[in-house]
Amino acid sequence: MDNFVEGLTEVTCDVLVIGGGTAGPMAALKAKQKNPALNVVLLEKANVKRSGAISMGMDGLNNAVVPGYATPEQYTKEITIANDGIVDQAPVYKYASRCYEIIEELDRFGIRFQKNANGDFDLKKVHHLGTYVLPMPNGDTVKKALYRQLKRERILISNRFMATRLLTAREGRIAGAVAVNTRSAEFLVLRAKTVILCMGAAGRLGLPHSGYLFGTYENPTNSGDGYAMAYHAGAALANLECYQINPLIKDYNGPACAYVAGPFGAYTANSEGKRFIESDYWSGQMMQEFYNELQSGKGPVFLKLNHLHPDTVGEIEEILHKVERPSRGRFHEARGTDYREKMIEMHISEIGFCSGHSASGVFVDEFARTTVPGLYAAGDMASVPHNYMLGAFTNGAVAGEHAAEVAQEIDLPDYDPDFVRLERVRVLAPTRREDGIPPNQLEYKARRLVNDYLQPPKVTAKMQIGQARLADVREDFETALVVRNAHELMRALEVSSILDCADMAAHASLYRTESRWGLYHHRVDYPDKDDDNWFCHTLLSKVDGRMTSEKRAIQPYVVPIETEERSAYDRLRVLNQA
Amino acid sequence: MPLALSPTTVPVVVDDAKCIADKGCTVCVDVCPLDVLRISDLTGKAYMKFDECWYCMPCETDCPTGAVTVNIPYLLR
Amino acid sequence: MSAFDPFEDFGDAEEIAARLADADAAVRRLAVIDLAEAASADGLPHLLAAVSDSDESVRLQVAIALAEFGTVEAAAALATLVTDLDVAVARAAADGLAEVKDAGAAPVILPLAFDDNAFVRAAGFRGLKGLRSQAALGPALAAMKDESAEVRAEALGVIAYLKREETLPSLIAATRDAEAAVRAVAVNALSFSNQAAAAFAVTSALHDESWQVRAAAAESLGRIGHASAIDGLAVGLSDDYWEVRQKCLNALGRLKARTVVSEIAALLSSDLASLRKEAAAALGEIADPSSHAALMVHVSDADPDVRKTVRWALTRFV
Repeated sequence: MDNFVEGLTEVTCDVLVIGGGTAGPMAALKAKQKNPALNVVLLEKANVKRSGAISMGMDGLNNAVVPGYATPEQYTKEITIANDGIVDQAPVYKYASRCYEIIEELDRFGIRFQKNANGDFDLKKVHHLGTYVLPMPNGDTVKKALYRQLKRERILISNRFMATRLLTAREGRIAGAVAVNTRSAEFLVLRAKTVILCMGAAGRLGLPHSGYLFGTYENPTNSGDGYAMAYHAGAALANLECYQINPLIKDYNGPACAYVAGPFGAYTANSEGKRFIESDYWSGQMMQEFYNELQSGKGPVFLKLNHLHPDTVGEIEEILHKVERPSRGRFHEARGTDYREKMIEMHISEIGFCSGHSASGVFVDEFARTTVPGLYAAGDMASVPHNYMLGAFTNGAVAGEHAAEVAQEIDLPDYDPDFVRLERVRVLAPTRREDGIPPNQLEYKARRLVNDYLQPPKVTAKMQIGQARLADVREDFETALVVRNAHELMRALEVSSILDCADMAAHASLYRTESRWGLYHHRVDYPDKDDDNWFCHTLLSKVDGRMTSEKRAIQPYVVPIETEERSAYDRLRVLNQA
Repeated sequence: MPLALSPTTVPVVVDDAKCIADKGCTVCVDVCPLDVLRISDLTGKAYMKFDECWYCMPCETDCPTGAVTVNIPYLLR
Repeated sequence: MSAFDPFEDFGDAEEIAARLADADAAVRRLAVIDLAEAASADGLPHLLAAVSDSDESVRLQVAIALAEFGTVEAAAALATLVTDLDVAVARAAADGLAEVKDAGAAPVILPLAFDDNAFVRAAGFRGLKGLRSQAALGPALAAMKDESAEVRAEALGVIAYLKREETLPSLIAATRDAEAAVRAVAVNALSFSNQAAAAFAVTSALHDESWQVRAAAAESLGRIGHASAIDGLAVGLSDDYWEVRQKCLNALGRLKARTVVSEIAALLSSDLASLRKEAAAALGEIADPSSHAALMVHVSDADPDVRKTVRWALTRFV
């Protein structure tokens, strides 16, 4: 295993889904259900059984729009406000309208949501306006249940193949993808009529404070490969300057899970044990307040549970130590920290792109279509804001259905064999060298530069230095990178995605000359929000081989927002800056 | 420039006495998202080959014999 | 350059099953794992046969595998394994039965409810709960007198999932069960009913000796929505446990309890920010003009969550 093998296979399918984490399996299932005659392939860099952000399941739904608890209108409104108005509402509304049917379907799959004594979904109220939190105390079986469905529907699964580039036909339509085996470096050309990208967040962009390359908030396999591939295929990417930054347990770097512990009475506190967050919505504004407190004399920030009854803490631990990031119990044990006795130190995560938590993703409409014909995106890498796990499932379903409909209408597009030949040369270049820089060193340097120059507070001159330094690393990548086996080749290809994402982060951040979304896009030399010029999306894409950004108008709202409601975000902002 | 060997202590530990990889089991290797586990040619048992761990636990949870333990990587501990 | 098949194979059940005859238990165990993973109906008969494997580690794997199939035959085999002498096998089988979703499995699970072993009886009711089987109702009602608290709790689950008014007497009786865990489920379960009798029984549970039961009762009363609970909930505002006081505040808000607005407003001065916040939220839900002034005092509360909630509450008065 891991030795280089010369090999090339070409396969043909109707719908190709890339990424077998959360959105991907649902997209593949829905495409197949839409038309069982279609040939649906699910490609995965790891193994679908336990891949992606929900490898060990999820502790709950943060954004369940369940009849009787919240309405799609209400939800759409709240997401619009939390994103400071920069939202195309149609995909958000579509998600909100369909997610309950997906919850019911997941329930039938055997995915266990919390139910009350009468067997009804047990939603927890966290927000004032609507109730969206549905705990999953036994949510560790999510992937297993999905995998079973995929087998039953006879979806063709290709594990341990990493997609490197998308294939496009002459007129720009999508034609498939090129992939490389992560244990043998054999090549796979997948021709397809439609392609759905479900490749997760760009979560390996910044370097965690621990310095451990894989100690990231996101699953480190989510290295932004989808963002990079979409970019190189000519798709537009939206609002990349709206970074993902999350509150987390310091060093462990896992989520603090306020959504789990919150309904039990836990909260985020400063060193005095007092609450300090003014913002009502999970947003960049909330993260700015978090950041300010961390830097203040009342810092750092803690997760406070020690005021809760020991039985209640036990109940919370039962969930937190079993689902999503279950090793955190082990982390606390080794540190000798106990929720019952002391507050637990928190910090903020490294930066990344992730629409699951913020709004930075490949631009999609309400059918999950990107700007490239035949190419779809769903989950953490698509631009539907704050869509979390349930958004990945729901939008994956939307993408799968639409991609299946299109695939049954069209012929298989041609692709350029020369492109594949050149892609093999590019991918295998580091395998041809005898000597050079290994991928782990290149990666450490690139990500350290991201931290030094690109993370907020953002400063123009620093970001420009960052661009120049990252260009040097890219040159090293292209001329001196060496890999000794197929496993290292996979890591090297991930570094290529990381470099692309770093460039996109810098470019998008420099383009928007204002501050918006709290910490996510806090530009120190443009400290004010400028609605006159920047109340719009920014789209980044590759035009004639060059990275380009442009403005895009926000589509008229489906659910109107009163001026007073919109200013809710600003009111909180002003209060906190006092 | 030649490559040097930099040792690291790895977080995933396998109990050889319990591991049944030599009987054909590949569960932990299959489920690792980072693909860092391998079966040793020498012992026929699973071991952590690459120090690239997200301490996510599928290897431990899915191991049919309870042979795998996931520790927190030293730098985070 | 060689070509290769990039796809996972679906696994030929017969081929895998041949390994079930191996002398080595570890090999048989791995075959069971492979059969489960193939998820094909062809594999099921082989798994059913492996239920009587001589090695407990193989039977354990079979129990886990059968849970993934969830069919009536799988349920029947799990019902056998629940009585296994090996504790781990029996537990896995019980967990598997709880995953069965095919209502047709009720007849094969029901006999477990009459087993001599309490663990088996509990596993039976636990499996029947999700099936919402009417046939299980009689045995479940009878089991409310079972000597094992675990069995009573699971039987109560069966009754509660059916949500039938005629089971109210049993559910109400269960609010006085000897075991706190059973009482907590009972008060929670009664929340489906809008009958005065249910509200009365749950209100009485606000005096339960266990604070968890009192908290569950308050929460349940909020869902029942019966005005007769208001006075009892108001008394609960001085419970020894702040967790109970908080749930009472929440329930009073949901009940729009105008008559006790001043008692609620008194908690705006609590030392605990969580209670001040919950009091403000309740006053916002009720939106009675008499509490407007009290809320105004807390617009600049020291705690941001309280301030936010007060601001929200005040918007409800316009």
